[in-house]
Amino acid sequence: MSTTSDDSVFHLDTALDATGDAHIRITGDLDWDSADEFTEAARALLRADPAPRRLRLDCARLTLCDSLGLASLLMVQRASAEAGTPLHLDNRPEALRRLLDMTGTAELFDGSAGRAADAPDASGEAGAAPPPGRT
Amino acid sequence: MTRVEGSLPQGQELLSSVGTAWMRAPYPALVVDTAGALVEINAQAARLFPAAGPGIPLADVAPDWLVEGHRRAAVTGGEDAGGPVRGRHGQWTLEAHATPGADGQVVWWLVDDTHRELAETALRNEKERHGFLAEASSRLLASLNTERCMEVAVELATRYLADAAVLVAPAAGRRHPLSLCAGDGVVHRTARIEPADVPGLKEALQGFPPVPSRWIDPSALPEWAVPEGFDGPVGSVVVTPLPGHGVPAGALILLRRSDHAAFDASEESFARVFAARAGAALSAARLYMEQTSITATLMADLLPPMLRRVHGVEFAGSYRTAQDTERVGGDFYDVHPGAAPGDKTLAVLGDVCGKGLEAAVLTGKIRSTLQALLPLAGDHQHLLRLLNGTLLNSRHTRFSTLVLASVLRQENTTHLSLTSAGHPLPLIVRQDGTVEEAPTSGTLIGVLPDVKSTTAEVDLRPGESCLLFTDGVTEARGGPLGDVMFGDDRLRAALADCAGMPAEAVVERIHMLVAEWIGDNRHDDIAVMAITAPRTTHLTAVDGHTAGRYTA
Repeated sequence: MSTTSDDSVFHLDTALDATGDAHIRITGDLDWDSADEFTEAARALLRADPAPRRLRLDCARLTLCDSLGLASLLMVQRASAEAGTPLHLDNRPEALRRLLDMTGTAELFDGSAGRAADAPDASGEAGAAPPPGRT
Repeated sequence: MTRVEGSLPQGQELLSSVGTAWMRAPYPALVVDTAGALVEINAQAARLFPAAGPGIPLADVAPDWLVEGHRRAAVTGGEDAGGPVRGRHGQWTLEAHATPGADGQVVWWLVDDTHRELAETALRNEKERHGFLAEASSRLLASLNTERCMEVAVELATRYLADAAVLVAPAAGRRHPLSLCAGDGVVHRTARIEPADVPGLKEALQGFPPVPSRWIDPSALPEWAVPEGFDGPVGSVVVTPLPGHGVPAGALILLRRSDHAAFDASEESFARVFAARAGAALSAARLYMEQTSITATLMADLLPPMLRRVHGVEFAGSYRTAQDTERVGGDFYDVHPGAAPGDKTLAVLGDVCGKGLEAAVLTGKIRSTLQALLPLAGDHQHLLRLLNGTLLNSRHTRFSTLVLASVLRQENTTHLSLTSAGHPLPLIVRQDGTVEEAPTSGTLIGVLPDVKSTTAEVDLRPGESCLLFTDGVTEARGGPLGDVMFGDDRLRAALADCAGMPAEAVVERIHMLVAEWIGDNRHDDIAVMAITAPRTTHLTAVDGHTAGRYTA
């Protein structure tokens, strides 16, 4: 757990609660500099055994999400869909809400994405490749 | 040791014992009288001056500097001689100290100073080399151009290490770039050479340790390895590798004339230190040049096209890349004119997520795919679905957002079909300055297995424009406080003033306002495209569409 209080500094707080939900609280800007750290942290949680019941991302302290930030959210969405773990994006700031609406991706993050139907289509090169982060 | 006969008051007995000891002192000593003739010499001095003996003039056996020193010391009988005199004698460097003897005689004590001299010379050389290396580093690293870097390396090597230097770079194809220097001026050449012709060169180019110079026969050097202007036969040769980052950066051949001392071990090892610096600089320059040329090649194909009027509709675009090259986003736009005046023209403007080459490659892929799919341009949904399928990738979720605009002018009305695929919505400015958002929506491209979109149908009257833009415009940070986004409201207000303007002017105005807003702040890529229904002009009058000017 990080103890930094400065909101402009990116950091993640992760936790696993008694009900089996995994939580990540994102503080700061989700952009080029922080996207990989976020994706890795989420993947690590999804890999846990037993797998978390749900993955909840708390965005209350998210100050900015640029296109690479959205790409990382989509990557986490893909990983959670593959793991069969529903993903929730909680406390979306206005800017994030608008970004998700504009890009038509809002519904991917409302917890319904654990269904197999939402997994990426096995078209072209996507077919042969194993899920990211697994062997 | 400086006390001799005559200066001890105790008596003859002690004096004679000192006299004996003096003869066997470990340092050479001479007693010289006021006339400059030797009185006595001890055993060490006799070894140094074999011809010396009592009565012989000092000038006959000793070097000039000592004779001159004695002439001055004799005036005072060795008192206050003003410090030692120094000079060379044969292979030695000697320091001579004068002390007073009996009857105005002077006793000279000689100290062998040869080693100190050598040490001082070595220290001086070392300082010089250190200075040279510092200069070499700063000059070598000053340029990221490989040819310039090779030039500096041979120039420096010729100035400090050898009479001539040849730098052999790794082969490009079958030919090796060479830089040769024999004093003044550097010659660059690319030649098909056989590295095995120079002993050790083939190994040096592969990065193996250098061959000691004594193993290299100077007469065996091929002609290409001796620069023009090198006068006299080659006396000695050193071949040393230029170690690069992981791969050898080339090899350096150093040549000395036969009248110049051959390379000694310390010079060879110094040459290796120099070569290490030159190699590092050269390989950095090479990596940089390679990367620059790859980027330039790709970017040349990705630069946005010049836009113009197509089938009676004005198109204008402007693209400003991010200053921070590390974060080049990948905005793009294209206009594909309809084959005939009655065919729709497809305009596309988009933004690829990512930076640098990665983004550039994805941009290129999207642009060529769209070009290939042009026959299907009438159905935006179908087009986007096909494009999405091409871009899907299991490794990453890099996406693109874009706007498609199919444009067709019929009489005075310009019909637009606008579809946003996850992109900021196009804005339309009406004749009266009203600004509207095109009611389209859709999912971004390249990540999700399926994409959905709705198309907006918009008609433009003469003087009305549709503005397509990337989020670099609305998210541009600046203003009086430096950290405020340009935002939708400012963009709408700016666009309201553009009613009735030609497309070029609309783009120019928006671009200028955003640039002013940003000031010196960092910004992302910014792309803007205006699609404008021109006010009816003579040109359209000639077309027969209208009866006169400005019928709008």
